[in-house]
Amino acid sequence: MSETTAQTEIRSPTDPESPPFLQIRNITKRFGAFVAVDNVSLDIHQGELFCLLGGSGSGKSTLLRMLSGFETPSSGQILIAGKDQAGVPPYKRDTNMMFQSYALFPHMTVEKNIAYGLKREGVPRAEIATRVTDMLSLVKLNGFAARKPNQLSGGQRQRVALARSLIKRPKLLLLDEPLGALDKKLREETQFELIKIQETLGVTFVVVTHDQEEAMTLSTRMGVMADGKLVQVGAPHEIYEYPRSRFVAEFIGSVNIFEGRIEQDGEDHAVIGSPDAGMGIYLSHGITGTLGQEVAVAVRPEKIRIGKSPMEDLPNTTQGTVDEVAYMGNLSVFHVRLETGKIISVSQSNLVRSPEDAITWGDRVTLGWDGAASVVVPS
Amino acid sequence: MTPSSLFLRITAWLGFLFLYAPIASLVIFSFNESKLVTVWGGFSTKWYGALFRDPQILAAGWISLKIGFFSATIAVVIGTLAAYVLSRFSRFRGRTWLSGAIAAPLVMPDVIIGLSLLLLFVAMEHLFGWPQGRGILTIVIAHATFGAAYVAVVAQSRLVGMDLSLEEAAEDLGAHPVRVFFDITLPVIAPALVSGWLLAFTLSLDDLVIASFVTGPGASTLPMVIFSKVRLGVSPDVNALATLVIGIVSIGILVAASNLHRAARDKEDAAPSHRTNEDMS
Repeated sequence: MSETTAQTEIRSPTDPESPPFLQIRNITKRFGAFVAVDNVSLDIHQGELFCLLGGSGSGKSTLLRMLSGFETPSSGQILIAGKDQAGVPPYKRDTNMMFQSYALFPHMTVEKNIAYGLKREGVPRAEIATRVTDMLSLVKLNGFAARKPNQLSGGQRQRVALARSLIKRPKLLLLDEPLGALDKKLREETQFELIKIQETLGVTFVVVTHDQEEAMTLSTRMGVMADGKLVQVGAPHEIYEYPRSRFVAEFIGSVNIFEGRIEQDGEDHAVIGSPDAGMGIYLSHGITGTLGQEVAVAVRPEKIRIGKSPMEDLPNTTQGTVDEVAYMGNLSVFHVRLETGKIISVSQSNLVRSPEDAITWGDRVTLGWDGAASVVVPS
Repeated sequence: MTPSSLFLRITAWLGFLFLYAPIASLVIFSFNESKLVTVWGGFSTKWYGALFRDPQILAAGWISLKIGFFSATIAVVIGTLAAYVLSRFSRFRGRTWLSGAIAAPLVMPDVIIGLSLLLLFVAMEHLFGWPQGRGILTIVIAHATFGAAYVAVVAQSRLVGMDLSLEEAAEDLGAHPVRVFFDITLPVIAPALVSGWLLAFTLSLDDLVIASFVTGPGASTLPMVIFSKVRLGVSPDVNALATLVIGIVSIGILVAASNLHRAARDKEDAAPSHRTNEDMS
């Protein structure tokens, strides 16, 4: 984890005071009556690795295709380095795209695939050769230059596609599900390679993905999309720890949601009365809202402590019976049924190999969490 | 062997027999020594020799090959363009009309195609003075029209199966759409075009009806010569000629089939990979 912290420092977006490199202003895209992208505005700075995260039909790919020029916005404006992109066809844009299917030209060798963009640009042959060689070593594919795409593995194809999209040194690289076709293990390795390459070249990346873990690992900032709208934009930890809506809280990671009403709201604390939890949930900070307003309290499973003894140090405690235990190696997930019938999921790191008093099926347990552990979102 | 698989085998053999027995007997009798077609008089290749000394047949064969070559080539150009328009431009005025018009020659009776083309050529000569008279040129045009229909069908299926992001990727890398067509689309669908060419060539070689309508003096194709010879009574040298034609056609079909087989193998690169059907792009 220490590695990631170090990275966060290096990877923080360049000077937020400078004008944004990519400006998306009130972009809307309609297909007939269907609104695929709904009034999205977004600024992305140079050197960022920005992830657009969303489910199927959320409009993230359509937004990406408008950036690359394959779709024309119904209304709104896209500026890249201050220049309006309206009416600029894909072959004249300073962006390059890495396709989900990789779209490697099957009749060309790896070398010719990568060189294609430079050839169209009219770069002298000698320069093309050196740049392709450099690119092949950047993606660790030396020795594969003469192969055809169908002689490569999935991971190798992915790297050829990346190399081909980077060869023209675009200022903005658009990646459509870049790791989607790889298996889990390879995907994890490739994520870090992708970050390394992005840092080395300093190219601005906009990545579309439906995989939240991928988005969290890759991005300096991310945007969550749903039904064509950009729901929340922020750094991965902001999105995870401070979701601004119930949708985001539930979409990213797993979460326990308690419905309730605001009972007390002070400067330094608030209480949400929740029939779900069978108690008043104490928060160690004030919230915005009126008394009696219906809200939802979101608590992440790893922020809840589980044990057999009472927890007097925590402001929120409740009892229940263990319904399910899922052992996942590094952690265990417990489903605990409260007296109200509500099922809470709690995760616990497995710090000890075989604890003597391990919690198991049917056990009576106490659950507790801190006043700062939960987030209140509009119901 | 289970009874049902025995049954399948027998059915398959009967089917092959039904299809190929006439052709097999023709091939066998082309090596007949006797002048009488139905009586076996021993093995001989003399009719093949006689064939190559017959100037009429040689001339007709040469004309047929020329017509086949040029009409197939024109058919590939027209058919590919039509298929490209139909598969890449989803909505334009007259799309339904065009796709219907392209498929029509596949089902239209040859007699009607031949007659209508003849009337067209006569009217055109009357109005513009071109084409002057009828002959090889008019047959080439006629064969190109129906050949294009077959090429369009073959090319369209390949174009539809092709991953559109291949073309987008090339455009994204700076290639003008026209350039994309020649750099990416054509090479990817090339196997289908070779098959289409061979198909059009074979059909042209094969055609008797349409050619008879639009031909003129001095332009007798091989099928026309064979047909007129048979009307005077079947002679063994026609059997020999037919055997040769079967040989050429079989080679053409084998090449086309292996081509399509190779294309299917390559398809995993060119076919759309399971897109997550994400967004209405």
